Amino acid sequence: MSKRILIDPVTRIEGHAKISIFLDDAGKVSDAEFHVVEFRGFEKFCEGRPLSEMPGITPRICGICPVSHLLVSAKAGDAILAVSIPPAAEKLRRVMNLGQIIQSHALSFFHLSAPDLLLGWDAAPGQRNVFGLAATNPDVARAGIRLRQFGQEVIEILGGKRIHPAWAVPGGVRSPLTGEGRDKIRAWIPEAHDTTKLALDIFKTVLQGHQQEADVFGDFPSLFMGLVDSNGGWEHYGGKLRFKDSNGRIVADQLDPQKYFEYIGESVQKDSYLKSPYYKSLGISGGMYRVGPLARLNVCDRIGVPLADAELKRFKGLRRGAVTSSFLYHYARLIEILASIEFIERYLEDEDLLSHDLRADAGINSLRGVGAGEAPRGTLFHDYTVDRNGILKKVNLIIATGQNNLAMNRTVAQIAKHYINGPDIPEPMLNRIEHGIRCYDPCLSCSTHAIGQMPLRVQLIGPGGRVVGEATRG
Amino acid sequence: MNNFMSRASQCLVIGYGNTLRHDDGVGVEIAEAIAAMNLPGVEVIARHQLVPELAEPISKSRTVIFVDADPAASAGTALLPIAPSESKQLMAHAANPRSLLALARDVFGGNPKAWSLAVPVEDFSFGFGLSHRSQAGLRSAVQLIQDLVAGSTNLA
Repeated sequence: MSKRILIDPVTRIEGHAKISIFLDDAGKVSDAEFHVVEFRGFEKFCEGRPLSEMPGITPRICGICPVSHLLVSAKAGDAILAVSIPPAAEKLRRVMNLGQIIQSHALSFFHLSAPDLLLGWDAAPGQRNVFGLAATNPDVARAGIRLRQFGQEVIEILGGKRIHPAWAVPGGVRSPLTGEGRDKIRAWIPEAHDTTKLALDIFKTVLQGHQQEADVFGDFPSLFMGLVDSNGGWEHYGGKLRFKDSNGRIVADQLDPQKYFEYIGESVQKDSYLKSPYYKSLGISGGMYRVGPLARLNVCDRIGVPLADAELKRFKGLRRGAVTSSFLYHYARLIEILASIEFIERYLEDEDLLSHDLRADAGINSLRGVGAGEAPRGTLFHDYTVDRNGILKKVNLIIATGQNNLAMNRTVAQIAKHYINGPDIPEPMLNRIEHGIRCYDPCLSCSTHAIGQMPLRVQLIGPGGRVVGEATRG
Repeated sequence: MNNFMSRASQCLVIGYGNTLRHDDGVGVEIAEAIAAMNLPGVEVIARHQLVPELAEPISKSRTVIFVDADPAASAGTALLPIAPSESKQLMAHAANPRSLLALARDVFGGNPKAWSLAVPVEDFSFGFGLSHRSQAGLRSAVQLIQDLVAGSTNLA
């Protein structure tokens, strides 16, 4: 009789989810689903609010990546005002987004994933956290906390506060970088570089002992999507969309994010509040794509700063074609931290950052506007429709975690097939399955607007839909 | 207000909460009130929520006061001593005072005296502003912190 394994709650991710693993009559894993079981509904309750409020409201979606929502919301506002914002404002927004990438990626690597990677899958669950890391690798734990602090500092220096800054507005930003703020950021740069090098060295060592995980934790063909500049370079704020396949072939390029709905379809799954977007031309069965650090490094031809480009070359050398293992999201994340530090360092030399020419004023010139940008976890879209008075009539948000939903399902199934044989799930196996999800660093607070912390439930389900096994944590 | 301490302080006040949920923001408002007084030797941090990065400034302080709304504080504003947590669990963006004290000790090597200042509240609904109960708690909390800093409240 076939069975279903349920993992509920999933731990060390942002939000609340459960995993169902389906067994066939022979007791072998046949499929898996990642369910997101909470709902907040920002798209609906933003209707009726003035456009000017959206950069203040939407960052409340998330305490980890509020900056991504802030910037993309402001960009949707730019499109509705139909303005080109002053160059200084764009540079300042870029610096804030780079700070956001650093802090979010540092959180993912040092707080959420390093305990597994450094303490081992079989370590006691109570030790697989930053305290366990501090006990065995105190310098790593300390450096990781401070690296995230650096990213938060960049955000706070620009926006006035590190969580939910209401700094970017349609048409630009409210304030420049001060000379004092620039000096503070500059003083952090050497330590940030040292920590990133430490993390890269750690991960490369870890990878040598984790070849099986690299092969099993989500290594399968898929499309990859991300923003690139007009020359195919790494982008995080502007640019156009590019899709590549797992052979490294460009499937579509320089697609206008304003018309995302022409390329991206949105489906829903039973038992989950997470949307499942797909590449429209190939339909939901063939259009699965991944976003985020792994995808961004796969789709770009270069990054544009020397240290990160050297790492990108090593990264791309790991596989022929695209790098298809989701375990290597970790590596991609560290490379993007390095890139972000280098770009911030470069921007600090630009006197434009101190300029007070920061806003373009205009009325409502377009009744629909799309903002797109690269959040730490992947491409983020805010699509607003307004009336002549700038009141929101319709809101559509496409979040990175949702775009990885189909790939997360595939990843869980792949890991489960490898490690589970029968209805029993030993805890270390449970943790491997969870880690497969953690590779994507999902933010369910964003993608469904879930409230609360992030527990995990795994259910083992038989062919008739009967729950025959269950494991719960959190 | 010094939002991120760069040097050791005698006393660190951390007020936290969500100012969009009425009384839940009382900790933030108390922190802002204390910051406006520029009390010597006092550093102030106001936060939406407690995060792991606070462990470092905590580790550098001699005394830390965590200020938060407490619907169960029926007897009035209460200053209670707290110790590092035995449990080694820490959520990335939902830490609690005791786990932060443990992190400050284990990772940054600092073990300050720590206090929880629980402010009586009653209204966590959506919106700005404090209830009468919370406003009274705010006044009382500010006085308690001032007394502590002036040495008239013995916390040893």
